[in-house]
Amino acid sequence: MTFFAPFCIPFIIGTVSLFVTIIAKWVSWVYYMPRTDRKLLRRGLFSMQTVKGVGEVVCECLLHRRIFRINPLLGYMHMSLAFGWFLLIVVGWLETVAYLGLEPVPLQGHVFFRYFATGISEHKPVFDFVMDALLLFVLSGVALAWGKRFYSRAMGMRRTTKHFLGDRVALSALWFIFPARLVAESLTCALYGGGGFLTGTIGRWMASHVNIEILQMLYEPSWWFYSCALGVFFVAMPFSRYQHIFTEIPLIFLRRYRLLPHEKASSLDKFQIQACSRCGICLDPCQLQQDLGINDVQSVYFLRDRRYNRLKLAVANNCLMCGRCEAVCPVGINLNTLRQNSRDRLRNIPDESRYKYFKGLDRSSGEGRVGYFAGCMTLLTPRTLHSMEQIFKAVGEDVWWADRDGGVCCGRPLKLSGETDSAKKMMQFNKELFYKHNISILVTSCPICLRVFREEYALRGIEVLHHSEYIARLMREGRLKLNNDGGRVTYHDPCELGRGCGIYDAPREVLSAVGELLEPKHTRENSYCCGGSLANTVIGDAQQLRLAQTMSAEFEATGAGTVVTSCPLCKKSIARGTSMPVKDLSEIVAENIAS
Amino acid sequence: MAAINWGFAISRPRVIDVDHNNLRKSDEILLEMPELQSCIGCGACTASCTAGNLTQFNFRKVHTLVRRGEYQGAYEEMNKCMLCGKCRLLCPRGINTRGVVMLIKRKLGDF
Repeated sequence: MTFFAPFCIPFIIGTVSLFVTIIAKWVSWVYYMPRTDRKLLRRGLFSMQTVKGVGEVVCECLLHRRIFRINPLLGYMHMSLAFGWFLLIVVGWLETVAYLGLEPVPLQGHVFFRYFATGISEHKPVFDFVMDALLLFVLSGVALAWGKRFYSRAMGMRRTTKHFLGDRVALSALWFIFPARLVAESLTCALYGGGGFLTGTIGRWMASHVNIEILQMLYEPSWWFYSCALGVFFVAMPFSRYQHIFTEIPLIFLRRYRLLPHEKASSLDKFQIQACSRCGICLDPCQLQQDLGINDVQSVYFLRDRRYNRLKLAVANNCLMCGRCEAVCPVGINLNTLRQNSRDRLRNIPDESRYKYFKGLDRSSGEGRVGYFAGCMTLLTPRTLHSMEQIFKAVGEDVWWADRDGGVCCGRPLKLSGETDSAKKMMQFNKELFYKHNISILVTSCPICLRVFREEYALRGIEVLHHSEYIARLMREGRLKLNNDGGRVTYHDPCELGRGCGIYDAPREVLSAVGELLEPKHTRENSYCCGGSLANTVIGDAQQLRLAQTMSAEFEATGAGTVVTSCPLCKKSIARGTSMPVKDLSEIVAENIAS
Repeated sequence: MAAINWGFAISRPRVIDVDHNNLRKSDEILLEMPELQSCIGCGACTASCTAGNLTQFNFRKVHTLVRRGEYQGAYEEMNKCMLCGKCRLLCPRGINTRGVVMLIKRKLGDF
């Protein structure tokens, strides 16, 4: 049996082009990786992580478990296309083995087996049934995908991604592949018999209702069309969103080997950028989209622009970096890090002479093993600072005040704006200051500072605590007794504290001790950003206010008397959007200290 | 005739001649950030400034000079800013001051 027909040519060209492009991409990305990352890769390759990675690949790339968790219908759509197609390939291979034994068959022989198998008289109905069932499975996914394009709300998505031409070509080819396969196989069944409940039934119907000459005339073109759809899709795949199919697999392993994007852009980022499938799940959580109608800066568009080197500063800068999209990304792309290192690439200019005035600066006061770093924003909300003073006094703690009389910023705002190298100077200054004063605990009431202290400073021997954690600890140790007179309060999770540092429970523990806690609709991992985010340097005042107002409406709906948050910046932003009193966690604690 | 050193000198004139200054950059800045026109020069930004607390950095002054076409040294001066964002919270006109700092640096710097 020969396994070649002229219609196979588009498919063969497509397949060769696909694999050459993919391998060239992977090799060049690994080749241009920073050396330390390559070392991590070599070390990780022969560890348990590789085995665990295989499991994750099955769960994510084939079954799409994370999308299922977000939205079951959407999960089914992705799974039917990915897992269904995968099974079609595997079962198709088994089918050829069952018919022909282990004799070598070229790739097109497996893919177009029905075409070449017409000469075989023996018949295996089990395979006919399974292959038809799988085809139906995939077709149901394609039908859902069509439906989603026309009416995305039916799939639980308010919005779906706007695609550019290349993606549309690949998308159309993908949509045609399975209907074309159905038609080609049904025609084959109509002319030669066989087939399962789907193709066989359609084939028999065609044979009895359609003139045989017409069927014969359509037979070859239908296989040509199927092959062309496959060929076009395979050629377009590495240059379109469908590159994610093959990029997500190495990404899962790299992530397990702890190869994550850095603050400086590198070729490692390409594994993340090209793993984006542009599913558009990041669109709905984006508050810029929801409240302000800005619809070209979301992560999916940012990654697309960066991938095709069309990224503009205005797009890179227009993001709150609240992390709501990162929390739902089914591929688990480190969207905030990528956004930050894009900004670094676009506008970082190292300047040696910058911040010379830091030299010899030390305005700290007090003595103690506990250090308190107020941070710029806390200095602007003096009530928080005074409340912290009261709390420290109540527990009789000696405190070293790092910046009560002015100090250097923690460096995170500058880093978020892209000037990474200059931000390093601030970090270095503060780090030396902390070491000089020999503290063992560093308390800060600003989550922005907290995050950078934990992630960048690498403070050895100093425990960094947010004031909510510190107060919770004082309560647990019995050093701080509180009255439960705070009334009904609601709590806002600051982005940097919640999604950024994973601190959700400490402030709630404190709040339940001083009052009755009522949760707003969007809370914990889903909480809104207050709009004041330092990461966004594009949106204006009115737009920030609108974000704050949307969020405040949820607080008012809880029926609480007071809004409590634990970030000075959030406090300022929320206060503009609501008429309710807004307090910092430390304020409500200081008011309720039992004497 | 050698000049006699009297121990005094005439101060350099500090007049800003807007007719002679090249306002092209200033106009570009205004075009990109039109809200700057609503600045009332109250100085809240300067009063709250973290860098201004430690140095002579004066955001209102630099911004005003740039608007009048006096670009000399503005970039270096703006580099003292730590971009902490306190000024933005205090601005009574709600000007995106951090955006202004970045914009002035972009227009007057080399990038």
